[in-house]
Amino acid sequence: MRNVWTLVKREYLARVRSRSFLIFTLLMPAVMAAMVLIPTTLARWDGGGMRKIVIVANNPELASVVGHELGNGRTQADDELQKSSAPAVYSIQVDTDTSEAERARLGQQVSEGKITGFLWLTDEALANHSVIYSTKEAADFTQGRELRNAITTGIARYRLAQKGMKGDEVDSLLAPTKLDTVRIEKGHQGASGSAVFLTAFFMVMLLYTVVLIYGLAVMRSVIEEKNTRILEVLLSTVTAKELLAGKIIGVGAVGLTQIMVWVIFAGLFSVPGLIAAKSFLSELHISVTAMIAFAAFFLMGYLLYSAMYAAIGAMVNTDQEAQQMQWPALVPLVLGVVLMNAVIQHPNSALAFWLSMVPFFAPILMLLRIVIEQPPVWQILLCLGLMLATVYGLLSLASRIYRVGILMYGKRPSLPELRRWLRYAE
Amino acid sequence: MPVRLGREPVAEIKTIPFPPQQERAPQTVELLGIRKTYDDFVAVDHLYLNIREGSVYGLLGPNGAGKTSTIRMMIGITLPDDGRVRLFGEPFHRGQLRRIGYMPEERGLYKRMKVLDHLVLLGRLHNLTERDARLRSLAWCERLQMGEWTHSKVEELSKGMQQKVQFIATLLHDPDLIIMDEPFSGLDPANAVMLKDVLIGLKKAGKTILFSTHRMDQVERLCDAICLIDHGRAILEGDLKKIKASYGKNHVQIECDGDPHLENCELVCSVNNYGNYVEVQLKPGADPQDLLRLVADRVRISRFELLEPSLEEIFIDQVGAHA
Repeated sequence: MRNVWTLVKREYLARVRSRSFLIFTLLMPAVMAAMVLIPTTLARWDGGGMRKIVIVANNPELASVVGHELGNGRTQADDELQKSSAPAVYSIQVDTDTSEAERARLGQQVSEGKITGFLWLTDEALANHSVIYSTKEAADFTQGRELRNAITTGIARYRLAQKGMKGDEVDSLLAPTKLDTVRIEKGHQGASGSAVFLTAFFMVMLLYTVVLIYGLAVMRSVIEEKNTRILEVLLSTVTAKELLAGKIIGVGAVGLTQIMVWVIFAGLFSVPGLIAAKSFLSELHISVTAMIAFAAFFLMGYLLYSAMYAAIGAMVNTDQEAQQMQWPALVPLVLGVVLMNAVIQHPNSALAFWLSMVPFFAPILMLLRIVIEQPPVWQILLCLGLMLATVYGLLSLASRIYRVGILMYGKRPSLPELRRWLRYAE
Repeated sequence: MPVRLGREPVAEIKTIPFPPQQERAPQTVELLGIRKTYDDFVAVDHLYLNIREGSVYGLLGPNGAGKTSTIRMMIGITLPDDGRVRLFGEPFHRGQLRRIGYMPEERGLYKRMKVLDHLVLLGRLHNLTERDARLRSLAWCERLQMGEWTHSKVEELSKGMQQKVQFIATLLHDPDLIIMDEPFSGLDPANAVMLKDVLIGLKKAGKTILFSTHRMDQVERLCDAICLIDHGRAILEGDLKKIKASYGKNHVQIECDGDPHLENCELVCSVNNYGNYVEVQLKPGADPQDLLRLVADRVRISRFELLEPSLEEIFIDQVGAHA
């Protein structure tokens, strides 16, 4: 045990002190932040432009009420995400000429770019409950919703006023009701909302990335040790099992350190001042359960895949050979990500259940299910039990391959040779 | 005690009796019929050998003879398929490894580690405390003239220097049994002499040293006893002086003016003319006295010397006998 500790310490320090660790640790949050900040910033630039809209209506009073609503910006922004983009500025013009000629003229102006668009709010359109907004660019999601809200509210306000209601009465009547989605029931995606989906996606991708990166790190490190010919020196005092344990624990500890640094970074991001990023992070409703699940599945997934990568590393002599040999570890990991979609759509289905029970997919798919729908406890326990058994089996298999492989410098073994390796005396 | 050998009939092999006082001396290493096979390939085949405490022992043989496989089984890196290993008078157990220093042939270091850190790491793995490992490393580096390199990275060192680091790492924990696989390969003569002197000092301090090499001339002068192995089998084992003596002095070096023309002489079986002198191997039963008379009749002799055969010649002779 003392030997394992000494080896873990060496592995850990050698990695944490390396320049690549520092660069990667700093770069990853920067990339993440960029992924969040760039779209929101772009949205703001886009939204910052002046939108010239002409409202064509028989009734100028109605038109001005609707225009006023638009000018007030979003009255019913119920989506948290949308707050991140700045409100657009509208310049409203009211036009009472409802002739076809006017329509053609406005169409011309739109295509010339003089106005952003025009709203055909004639009495006839109102009677049909169908208002047309003509614009050159396909109206984006936000704008469409803003227009719809403004029209609905504006018309209601106008009609209520017609019925003799006072302004503040109308206001209180039309006050928007805020809707918060709270996930209590075992709902499907639609009910869980974008926040939960975003959280799940974020956590799963983080797990996938870190497991892949550190699995590969284990493999590279085994190859490097083979190439430097240090292994036989070490084997004169420690066993191959101790070496393997030291390697996997040491590299895993580096992975955990990195995740912790990123969590701290994320914490710093939510400090006021970086509002856009904050609103994004506030979307990540990471519950305590999800955090524990993440830790458990990261650990299991890492052990499972790093055992495979260590065995592959022990079989080959160069990185190039490793490239060709790493598919047994890479395919299940990537497949897990590919199958995410099926599970997201029906997290409760039999298919999702069986897929998430496969130990090679479980780190991704079971974690996904836990975050989005909270499967029954027995399923989680069964899944962890299966993983534990697989991890144990793979580690003992890997340590047998490792034990023989690290002393073999020739060509890599064929499958029958590999089978014989497994049978060699300890 | 006769030399213990593999499955070969004993009659074919020279048996060299140990003197009685040596038989009673404690054995540091006893290999009792160990065997290792890799698939169809027999790496080591029922090998017996004994290494007396305090001796310098040579494990000799050509490349691929099974030397490294034998050592690996000796110190538990691999386990023998058959046979037993006894170290320090008891069956092998991993606790004994802290009394052993092993420098493998396939040796390397972590390239990016500093020399001192690396030595401390290897010392720690041999059960030294951090402080002890550090102090010993510094003392050894000083002794082997690498005091100013302790804070350099391993990759900044020359090959020979890296080998000295290996050497120190092997000896850091003051092992009672020192095993060195091809220790002098890749060393310049000055460093080779330095390491040899250190090893001789260790021998005087009562340590047991095992060399493994295919360069027999390198260890001929250092070893007390040897085991010649070929194709995983011991073909000759025992006290080096006795082995040589048993071969008798059947080699003659002759320094003379001109060529004595011994190629077709019925007394000799081979002739090597080195220019400055001629070396001949006598036929079995031939009397060197007859040869001296014969040569004296032909040329003027300045030197006529009877020699023991070199280890290499014994080896070639033995391998030939078993081929």
